[in-house]
Amino acid sequence: MDEHALFYRSSLLSRTLVAQQKDQDCPYPLTARIHGSSSLYAGSVSKAASLHWTGERVVSVLLLAMGPAAYYFPGPAVDYSLAAALTLHGHWGIGQVLTDYVHGEPKIKMVNAGLFLLSTVTFAGLCYFNYNDVGICKAVALLWSK
Amino acid sequence: MALLLRTFTRQGTCLFRPQFGILCRHAVPMGTTANEEMNTFWAKNNKLNRPMSPHLTIYKWSMPMMMSITHRGTGVGLSGGISAFALLALVLPGNYPYYLDLIHSLSVGPALLSLAKFGIAFPVSYHTLNGIRHLFWDSGKGFKIPEVYRSGYVVIVLSILTSIAAIAYM
Repeated sequence: MDEHALFYRSSLLSRTLVAQQKDQDCPYPLTARIHGSSSLYAGSVSKAASLHWTGERVVSVLLLAMGPAAYYFPGPAVDYSLAAALTLHGHWGIGQVLTDYVHGEPKIKMVNAGLFLLSTVTFAGLCYFNYNDVGICKAVALLWSK
Repeated sequence: MALLLRTFTRQGTCLFRPQFGILCRHAVPMGTTANEEMNTFWAKNNKLNRPMSPHLTIYKWSMPMMMSITHRGTGVGLSGGISAFALLALVLPGNYPYYLDLIHSLSVGPALLSLAKFGIAFPVSYHTLNGIRHLFWDSGKGFKIPEVYRSGYVVIVLSILTSIAAIAYM
């Protein structure tokens, strides 16, 4: 058997090559791609998912800090920060729930659009409440006073 | 020769560089993302109308499982509550103290009042404390099974205690 035939047989065994294409440049095996930017790898994988994960943790920690902040320094600064952090944390949280349970491209797009609308209205409502009413910190204080 | 090529391919070495073009000119690695693969899976199985294998109904429930779904449940509940509050703020006439007095005028009694406060305080404290537990996991700590159970019990006990404290002392 010539070299080409041998190569194709071993490539089938390795299961890293699926499609056949002319003039392909630098096709790296899937394993290299999974392990990210190694010195062998010249292409790039989007860091969006990784950054999203980090963003989620950052917002979680910020929200955690806003608990004592709201208790010791109630006021508009904490009110609006709380509105933003709560809305974003909830938006991303519900987003994860939807990703887990909703499947199929059109359904995913639909529910995510609905979630975006809900989060927008939520943030608007909280800001409205902060501006025109007593504000989040005061509201919690009043609720608990009785 | 085949053995040599198989070894190189598995290690993913420079066999695929352009200088080896004679060997790999007509080959391309798998280009599907995890997302695409998931969508293909669901599209195929839905199209074939396949039933889902029993999972939640047959697997023995464990404490970590229950705590995890409770974390999700409290999260969804709290988020829904906040959204409902925001919507009402936009839609209802009158201000917050007015509606608070309205609720107080119903004079529900101390027992029901405490129950309602617990109904708000417990989800907040549980979700917060379990959230901290999650952040520890995210930093790589506490994955050993005994640790998982221990931290779980701590979260449950502290959640109940802080909720009771919030009702009793605030």
